[in-house]
Amino acid sequence: MKYLFLAASSFLAITAQMIAGKHFFLFNFMDLSLILIAYWAFYRSRAQALFVGSLTGILQDAVLGLPLGYNGFGKTLAAFVIAEAGRRFDVEGTWIRFALMAVSSCLSSLSMFALFLLLQRSSSDVLLGASLLQALITAGVGILVFAALDTYNRIRTKRVG
Amino acid sequence: MSIEMASKGEGRSLYVVIGLLLLHLTLLSIQVKDPSGTLLFKKWVLLATSPMLNGASNVSRAISDFWTGYLWLHGVRAENARLKEDVRQLALLNSSLAQEEEENSRLRRLLAFDASLPYQTLGAHVVGRTPDFLSGTIYLDRGSLAGVRADQPVVSDGGIVGRTVLVTRNSCQVQLITNADASVGVMVERTRVPGVARGTENVLLDLNYISNTEEVNVGDALVTSGLDGIFPKGLPVGKVVVSQKGKTGFRTIRVEPSADIIRIEEVLILLGPPKPVTDSVAPGVVK
Repeated sequence: MKYLFLAASSFLAITAQMIAGKHFFLFNFMDLSLILIAYWAFYRSRAQALFVGSLTGILQDAVLGLPLGYNGFGKTLAAFVIAEAGRRFDVEGTWIRFALMAVSSCLSSLSMFALFLLLQRSSSDVLLGASLLQALITAGVGILVFAALDTYNRIRTKRVG
Repeated sequence: MSIEMASKGEGRSLYVVIGLLLLHLTLLSIQVKDPSGTLLFKKWVLLATSPMLNGASNVSRAISDFWTGYLWLHGVRAENARLKEDVRQLALLNSSLAQEEEENSRLRRLLAFDASLPYQTLGAHVVGRTPDFLSGTIYLDRGSLAGVRADQPVVSDGGIVGRTVLVTRNSCQVQLITNADASVGVMVERTRVPGVARGTENVLLDLNYISNTEEVNVGDALVTSGLDGIFPKGLPVGKVVVSQKGKTGFRTIRVEPSADIIRIEEVLILLGPPKPVTDSVAPGVVK
């Protein structure tokens, strides 16, 4: 059941990304799946964040019509970086979360760029530049989402207490 | 999820991420082709297996080389040593057979000579020789037990060799005709002119008491005259190699013995009693 929920959340993230990107251009510069991965790494199991990364990556490849594995590789790598950082550092702070998401997003994009270059002998520098913008936007949106979630959790905790 | 489970999950995260990354790469490799149209998966599998295949091949080759280059050669070395030993053995055998053949040939000649002699004979081997062969003494492996006595003639297939001088139970000493102390009554076979042949400590004999008036030519054969009381009449002695008129009224004559005195190995001892001396003995004959 847990893994079904994990798969469903991944699927929803990709679908939401597609729908939002179709209507709002800026959503194309946001990686909702990376925010989902960060959520699992910060708030749930870090090991399971790896599976979320893999699954969302493969779904993203399938949706974008890319050979399966490009995004899966990048997102798994990003999930590992976030999970490892969460194990070693205090990731409660806003800026560290921002930095972690930005760095992991960049790493994911870079790994894809490298794979493109190695496997298909072609890549786009524009894609690399857009990836930097995507990393900043994703990290910013992620901070807002997590701040809202933290506020919600605090209010809920007070009510229960 | 409990904290304990979570920490356990985190501990495995490194292995999990490696597995997942490999999964993605494998997924990519079965979809993406290289510029030559080959699936990357096939290429990578080949790339991953080729070091192992090469390594296995190298190890196999190294073992094979070690086997052929050392162990097998080690066997070859041992075989080579054994074959060399065999060659040595065969060379010795060959030499031995050649010697036996030579000895057989000599003995056949000696036997034939023996058959032509009207005397009782005894075969003997030369077992010793004085260091200086020109000193004129040899030792035989027959003695008094075999019937040998002193002053018995010793001959070979070529002619006379000498006479026995000292006899023990199982051996005897022979004074060769080339000994400076030896003298033999002889005569020129062609002209029947008698004389005395003396040893000279040389390979040649001196023929004495032949008058300048007698005709003796180089190449004339000499036989025993039987007048010395030791050697029976008619045995071959040698051949004239030098014949000149002398200043004292006697010719200077040199004789080469018929018997191979230097290389002699088997001889016959004439056991029959020497003929009784009825005529005057030539001067200087040693009994």
